[in-house]
Amino acid sequence: MLALATDCASGLSAQEKIARFKQLDSEAETAMQQHRASEAVRLYEDAVCLVPNSARGYYGLGVAQAAAGDFLKARESLRTADRLQPATGMPLVMQVRVNFSLGDMDTLKDNLREAAARFPHDADLHTTLARFLAEQNLFVLALAEALRADQGSDDWNSKVQLAILENTVGAHEDAIQNALAIEQNHQLPEQARGAAAGIAGLSYESLHKPDQAVHYLNEAIQLDPAQDNSYLALADLFEQQQKYPDAVNVLKQARAHVPDSNAVLLALGADLVRAEQYKEGLEALRELLQKAPDTPEAYISIADAARRTGDAAQEVGALRELERRKPDYPMIHVLLARAMLNQQPPEYQRILDELSIAAKKDPNDSDVYFLQGKVYVALGRYDQALPALQHSIELRPTEPSPYYQLARVYQKLGKAELAKEQFERVKFLESANAK
Amino acid sequence: MIEGTVTAPNLLFIRDHFNEPDVSVGTWKLRIEGRVDRRYEFGFADLAEMPSKKVEAVLECAGNAANGSAVSNGVWEGVPMSSLLEAARPAPDAAYVLLEGADSGRLLQDGPPLPYSQLVPLDKCRDTSSLVAFKYNDLTLPKSNGFPARALFQGLYGMNSVKWLRRIVVLRAGDQGTVFDRSGMNRLYNRVTRQSGADRITRVSSVQVKSAIAWPTDGLKLPAGHYEIWGFAWSGGGAIRQLSISVDGGKQWNSGKLTSPANPYGWVRWSYEWNAKPGDYALMSRAKDATGSEQPLTRDPARKDGYELNWCMPIHCSVR
Repeated sequence: MLALATDCASGLSAQEKIARFKQLDSEAETAMQQHRASEAVRLYEDAVCLVPNSARGYYGLGVAQAAAGDFLKARESLRTADRLQPATGMPLVMQVRVNFSLGDMDTLKDNLREAAARFPHDADLHTTLARFLAEQNLFVLALAEALRADQGSDDWNSKVQLAILENTVGAHEDAIQNALAIEQNHQLPEQARGAAAGIAGLSYESLHKPDQAVHYLNEAIQLDPAQDNSYLALADLFEQQQKYPDAVNVLKQARAHVPDSNAVLLALGADLVRAEQYKEGLEALRELLQKAPDTPEAYISIADAARRTGDAAQEVGALRELERRKPDYPMIHVLLARAMLNQQPPEYQRILDELSIAAKKDPNDSDVYFLQGKVYVALGRYDQALPALQHSIELRPTEPSPYYQLARVYQKLGKAELAKEQFERVKFLESANAK
Repeated sequence: MIEGTVTAPNLLFIRDHFNEPDVSVGTWKLRIEGRVDRRYEFGFADLAEMPSKKVEAVLECAGNAANGSAVSNGVWEGVPMSSLLEAARPAPDAAYVLLEGADSGRLLQDGPPLPYSQLVPLDKCRDTSSLVAFKYNDLTLPKSNGFPARALFQGLYGMNSVKWLRRIVVLRAGDQGTVFDRSGMNRLYNRVTRQSGADRITRVSSVQVKSAIAWPTDGLKLPAGHYEIWGFAWSGGGAIRQLSISVDGGKQWNSGKLTSPANPYGWVRWSYEWNAKPGDYALMSRAKDATGSEQPLTRDPARKDGYELNWCMPIHCSVR
């Protein structure tokens, strides 16, 4: 509870009250800058006790209360600030933030409607709101605010933000229209035009127009070569088209202009491997791991390169390192077991141990039991291979491979009729799949 | 094929009468007019910031084939039409609402191009679950499904959930026929039943009880073994209470299991454990809703239209 104004101001002249208020306000600001929110709350409480009609005091109090995590009180203080000084929009902006923290979307929307009604042409206010809402992944509300900002301004920043949001929510034609208006305006900074060209490229990609997408992403690169996003988006487009050498060329260009980008290095390494340039690919991936050793995709790409070049030991080594760093990486034990099966000679018991861990993690993964079955077949332990393969079939009855292994088991056991039946199922399923 | 307890946005079915219109989110407006005290219009920013609600609903095309894929289930978010209408203050004699989309074309060879529109009773629009929807499964609507906003009615066939909605016109009783006839839309979505040599024509409206087998798909070849036959069932009349399965073309029926919560207007997932032995099979599913309505085993031979195709159509598969 705030003390009554008469108590906290007793004995002070009007001039002294103002002086004391300024002092408290300054101390509270310092406390906020030093992340001492609770102390700032106390100082602002004293300040508004002295000057109860101070919008600045209540605004500061609300911000401090929010920083201290007391969102309900913050909301009340900000409402008071708004009531005392309705000509400024900042208390409303802060209320949006506080209501988001409270998870009170209805009141947050009330704030937005009030901001629209009271400040229809304040582009800065609506841009601020759009940015905040986009940061919280509230893209539709962010788009609404960006549309309001666009109505109140010709500022290219607002238009870029609007185009980004339109692209994000799927209004690709709108995004292209707004982005191209900026891209084609040669009075604007090249950075802005580059960002706009990038948005146009991404929107064209979403509309399945790859030629235009490539054109505008290249344009984005030329206009602003220091942004890694455009290179990555263009390389991604080439990857989807399985044009790996083209992706590599784009990413090499990116390396020259944005040498510190780990994202570029990862993509370059992976695409070099896909383009069968293994030596260079491994060099890029290893360079990345020296800088960022917890990058799982890099280990997967190294394992991929090793598998393609028949280096099972390196494949297992890369996956082991991944397991060490990310023990919960999806399907890591199945990946390891597969890689270990390629080693000569395979260490079957260790593979079974790996599969046993995989089965505990995901008892419904049919691949685990299929691989177990394969190992038991290789070891001649047909009595154990049978239930493993049958269980794999139960979990995924339309996959032909376990039937093939099962047929081999029956052959080994001298059960020719049962083996024939399984071989027929393989043929039957392969014909069904081909259809 | 239908799939997922909630249909992914990229799998939402698409049925249009006219070409998809060019609608810009920046210039889109929805106008409310007709027999109201206060006509008004608003844009996407206004709509997005109004109080909204979410409803789960099956959306099915009235002409969806038996076992067809022109049906989906999902969570729609939008502004209750009731609050939009309330703000316009409909006249006491208001009884119908004409919903108009931004798509237009010629329904009649010699007729003028007209916007797609549908007529819905005002009471249904005032139902708090009837929305001007702008989100589906927490994402904006796909463009081909009505972006930036469309109507959404639980329990009614999809044609009433007008896409690219741009006008809501409140009409008084007696005017609706004239206005609707003029649009030419009265020629669509009619139930035509041949009785005693004459055609009886009534309007198609509520979704009929129906089920579909999602797996196995028609013509699938399977090795012998244990399988889960599964699919979905729904009705505009109430929650699904019972699902039966036949693997022999309807001679014998067994109970399926409802495996997701029953929802009056969403669909329910069902399954049936099947020990498939070698042979050829005709699989059928049959649903019954809370009102006792049950899927017919065959199409009513008196029906001369192509709507409400909710009979139990078999799908075939062979097991070896």
